Amino acid sequence: MPLYKEFTKGLWKENPVFVQVLGMCPTLAVTTSAIYGFSMAAATTFVLVSSSFVVSVFKRFIPNQVRIATYTVIIATFVTVAHYFLKANFPPISKALGPYVPLIVVNCIILGRAEAFASKNSVVRSLADALGMGVGFMIALVILGGVRELFASGAVFGYTVMPHWQPWVIMILPAGAFISLGILVGVFNLISTRMKR
Amino acid sequence: MKNALRMISVLIIVGLVSGGVLVCVYNYASPLIQRNEEEALQEAIFKVLPGITKYNELKKDGMTLYEGLDQKGNVSGYVFIAEGNGYQGPIRLIASLDKDLSRLTGLEVLESSETPGLGAEITQEFFKEQFRNLPVLLKIAFTKGAVSKPNEVQAITGATISTRAVVEILNLKIEEIRSVFGK
Amino acid sequence: MNLILIFIAAAVTNNFVLTYFLGICPFIGVSNRLESAFGMGMATTFVMTLAATVTWLINHYLLIPLHIEFLEYVTFILTIASLVQLVEMFIRKTSPELYRALGIYLPLITTNCAILGLTLFVVLRNYAFLEAVIFGFGAGVGFTLALVVMAGIREELEFADVPKPLKGTGITLIIAGLLALAFMGFGGLISS
Repeated sequence: MPLYKEFTKGLWKENPVFVQVLGMCPTLAVTTSAIYGFSMAAATTFVLVSSSFVVSVFKRFIPNQVRIATYTVIIATFVTVAHYFLKANFPPISKALGPYVPLIVVNCIILGRAEAFASKNSVVRSLADALGMGVGFMIALVILGGVRELFASGAVFGYTVMPHWQPWVIMILPAGAFISLGILVGVFNLISTRMKR
Repeated sequence: MKNALRMISVLIIVGLVSGGVLVCVYNYASPLIQRNEEEALQEAIFKVLPGITKYNELKKDGMTLYEGLDQKGNVSGYVFIAEGNGYQGPIRLIASLDKDLSRLTGLEVLESSETPGLGAEITQEFFKEQFRNLPVLLKIAFTKGAVSKPNEVQAITGATISTRAVVEILNLKIEEIRSVFGK
Repeated sequence: MNLILIFIAAAVTNNFVLTYFLGICPFIGVSNRLESAFGMGMATTFVMTLAATVTWLINHYLLIPLHIEFLEYVTFILTIASLVQLVEMFIRKTSPELYRALGIYLPLITTNCAILGLTLFVVLRNYAFLEAVIFGFGAGVGFTLALVVMAGIREELEFADVPKPLKGTGITLIIAGLLALAFMGFGGLISS
């Protein structure tokens, strides 16, 4: 498989959110606005790329029986780094994302990529794969965040798009998150099947 | 046996490296975090007590009160921070009292995770406005109907718990402040 | 009184799955059959109560006295992983029947974000010891409740004519949204 395909597969064909349905808690929880979705995805991508890198570099030294424990410690370390970095440099974003930054530790995408890909492939391929998955995750979160923000406040990324919009409170509530994502997954499937034909 | 030894040593090394990295990150981040918190506090104090030019920190019996001074150096009011549990998690408030500690003069919500559209309305101007110039010599009370007494505020429809949480957090703290700092 | 309030809030009004989105992966993965949903729920409740208890002790007697709170996430996730492993070994030894019922769900629990989320909430909200235990138990009950209700609906849904692109994940998420709306109605439980 050519290297660029390792990257692009995460964007659409194996999109972590729309196709693999992984990492749902942050996807639903922080997407009340596009900018939060973007920040969350950026933090996740950082952890994903760094831990995939470390795992693929040291894969030969990690005994099989303790590999999951080792991966988890590596991931938790990078998550703590990301958490303190956000808290030190972007306090409002850190406050808004709240406990969902530490929860990146249990985001199945990251452990999944470490176990299924980085532990078996070369460093360069693992990086391409992790970056692709990260960007795919970001696309999903920004779309979902954008849609919810648009209907909840008539704005996207804080810029008013629809003036005089009567806000739909449900879009910031949990129920709105579930329903919007459900419909988006449906739309995604529809486009995918159309494209195959 | 050899295998077990290898497993343990790998885990120990991973743990040590992880701990080491985190110590470095913590040392880099904690002064920045502290600075951010101080800046946020300063901003909040100037917001609830407009018109002051500087403030002093007063500490007594483990309680902190901020004394706001105007241009001439006269005390124009006091600011305190109070927190407690709301409906969905902790609520942190910052509020100002006049110089006799008898009236609230301003209120801001620093932190809350109440339900959007219901409890989160405590951060809205119409709610906070009710606490401006509210006498606090008697306990603050809240009502679901029309306000009839000077020490009453109107509860947010559908969010009685959040309203009560704010009122109780304030009552408790104001009472403490009056007993520690009052003359 | 406070303890009852914490329990009801964790189990119903602030349901982990439907308001904090914690534990969505198993919620979507295991909720197609009632029986497995119940098994998963029971196993999770058990581990949640245990995890809340143990991490509270670790936090208050190890991390805070030594001022190493920045190791919180690493310690907690390792604690949860080892707890799950211990519970699995213990159940296999003592009760083969229970093991047959819960065994296959246990490994899945380590990566259930609801457990780590729970332990972080306990720290964030400054719960006392007993409050933490009740909170853990309540969250588990709430998780089971959401899972079982969802599985009941999905079993019926097999006979429904769902638009093709929404089949599977799509319709599950939309139903979860409707459930979340319905659960908001419980908000009145703690209003006065």
